[in-house]
Amino acid sequence: MKLLLGLGLALFAGPALAHVTLETQSAPVGSTYKAVARVPHGCKGAATIKVRVQIPEGVIAIKPMPKAGWTLETVKGKYEKSYDYYGTPTSEGVREVVWSGGKLLDEHYDEFVFRGYLTTDLKPETTLYVPVVQECEGGAVERWIEIPAAGKSADDYKFPAPGLKLIPKK
Amino acid sequence: MTRQLRLFLILLGLALASLAAAGQALAHAALIRTAPADGAVIASAPAEFSLSFSEPVSPLVLSLIGPDGASRALTRFTLGDRTLTIIAPSDLANGTHVLSWRVVSEDGHPVGGSVLFSIGAPSAAPPILTAQTDPAVRFMLWLGKLGLYLGLAFGIGGVAFMAWVAPLPAAARAPIASFLALGLLSMPIAVAAQGLDALALPLSAALQPVAWQAAAASSFGRTALIATFALLAALLALFRPGGRGRLLATFVWLGVGAALAASGHASAAAPQFLTRPAVFMHAVGMAGWAGALLPLAFALRQPDGAQVLRRFSRRIPVLLVIILISGLALAIIQVERLQALLTTPYGLVLTGKLALVVALLGLGAFNRFRLTEAVVSGRASARSQLSRIIAAEIALVVAILAIVALWRFTSPPRALAAAAAQPASVHIHTGKAMADINVTPGRTGPVTISVSLLDGEFGPLAAKELRLALSRPEVGIEPIERQATRQADGSWLVSDLTLPVAGRWTIELEILVSDFEMTRLKETLEIRP
Repeated sequence: MKLLLGLGLALFAGPALAHVTLETQSAPVGSTYKAVARVPHGCKGAATIKVRVQIPEGVIAIKPMPKAGWTLETVKGKYEKSYDYYGTPTSEGVREVVWSGGKLLDEHYDEFVFRGYLTTDLKPETTLYVPVVQECEGGAVERWIEIPAAGKSADDYKFPAPGLKLIPKK
Repeated sequence: MTRQLRLFLILLGLALASLAAAGQALAHAALIRTAPADGAVIASAPAEFSLSFSEPVSPLVLSLIGPDGASRALTRFTLGDRTLTIIAPSDLANGTHVLSWRVVSEDGHPVGGSVLFSIGAPSAAPPILTAQTDPAVRFMLWLGKLGLYLGLAFGIGGVAFMAWVAPLPAAARAPIASFLALGLLSMPIAVAAQGLDALALPLSAALQPVAWQAAAASSFGRTALIATFALLAALLALFRPGGRGRLLATFVWLGVGAALAASGHASAAAPQFLTRPAVFMHAVGMAGWAGALLPLAFALRQPDGAQVLRRFSRRIPVLLVIILISGLALAIIQVERLQALLTTPYGLVLTGKLALVVALLGLGAFNRFRLTEAVVSGRASARSQLSRIIAAEIALVVAILAIVALWRFTSPPRALAAAAAQPASVHIHTGKAMADINVTPGRTGPVTISVSLLDGEFGPLAAKELRLALSRPEVGIEPIERQATRQADGSWLVSDLTLPVAGRWTIELEILVSDFEMTRLKETLEIRP
């Protein structure tokens, strides 16, 4: 019965909820996107103390949202190429966002938010992956960084990176 | 807005909110704790197993694979909070067990894994089993070998008599020629049987080209080729007396050594610089000694027989020394320990052979120190007695060769130990990464797994972490996961692992290239029983 219930819920809710995921899972290129990374649980029961988000190539003008109880840091670096940001060529910026120093218990839920511009160099009708590393108490780490190979879906992986379906520019 | 519509909207909102809340509570289950712990060695059989997860779960399949490789389903369990308690069977044997679990968590995502634990001590590697081929093929192999050996010893050895003792008595030519023919006729039998044995085919497949190709590709192919040439050349030398014949006879005599040194356990042993020359000398010496018996018997019927006998007596000690020294060297390398002479099939064959060789040496010594003088001084009774003893010696040589041909079916202790220690290896090559995986020894029992990583362009791959997961889905073993440790030379090692069952295991590598980049490689490899 419990199994059936579990399977039923799974069909309804989708297995993606088991992992770190993005709240808004599709967005047009050439627009500003608000990324809400949802962290549903700790690492094998341990509380989360750090969340690191790698900004994928082609996403610029990053503005992370500060979080009460957490220290916010960014790692800046050069992009692979120069991107056009409303007419301004942009070749460097935030490559990684880190929230640390907080404590998110395994039985609690939280969201980590940043905003960024999806450049028109990104290809519509593809999935943009945003790797997230979740570090926990006791040295445990969960890495949501697996990017599905061609012909596979995120469901085939144990630790899929959160994904975002890109749609054509409006 | 009507009240009904407002109520409907409120309800809809509540429903959506509850769905979202339910969704967020869902998460896949991770195994947090097990009893016994993964990899643990416990003193006595536990009454129950427990698996604690990060989320509530429902078991799908629970099975226990025992040290004998048999799998049984575990059906008695209780679920409490997030811990699954399983009643253990009461008759658990000592050794390594695998508790394989597959559960579904509330998100409907099935997850599985295995817990490895040992009662008493980890299972030791099982005794070595050797593959059995069709008995008919084995007999054919033995027969082919024996025919070949007889051809080399009495045929080519007989021809060699010209080279080192005296011209052949005319009457000896016909029997020597028949031994050469026997060697040539045995060749296809030996080659076909070799191929059948290599491919584990039944006798009925003897005419299939694949068996012949397999034999030709083996080291025995070289032996067959050299021996065939030597046997044909010996036939030529046999009917060409004089200087040229003697020269050819010398060459074919050495050909016996070359043929036998080209294949076989002894030639393949290390150190090669010692074993190959030793086999060569042993074979040349053997052919010289054994081959001289037939011509001697015929020479004794001739008037100059005493002179021929005296020349043989004077020269034979050199050959005996060569045979004994080379034989001793090979025995030491192959048998390794003295008790192996009686405890291994290889040692028993050697012991049997040595007993007959001692008898042969005894007869030879009697001939040399008693009868030779009597024959030379012209006693007729001594001549006939010597002839009878030579006939007995020929019979002994045939028996020795028949025993030696049995070696084909035994592996020397050295080779058995080496075969058991042989790793199971697999190479994985993808565009992103390459891995060389060695499981040592490549059989069930405690193993060490070493992994060398390279990137797709043969460059070094500096991984941050490496995890291995080994599974045997056909027998219901979910992945056994182990973290590898990096060695000083840059390779990765997993040493606390016991593989409980043989067969084709799936090995998956989870390579953490950098904090945000992971590569997975997956391949299967065969673990021997």
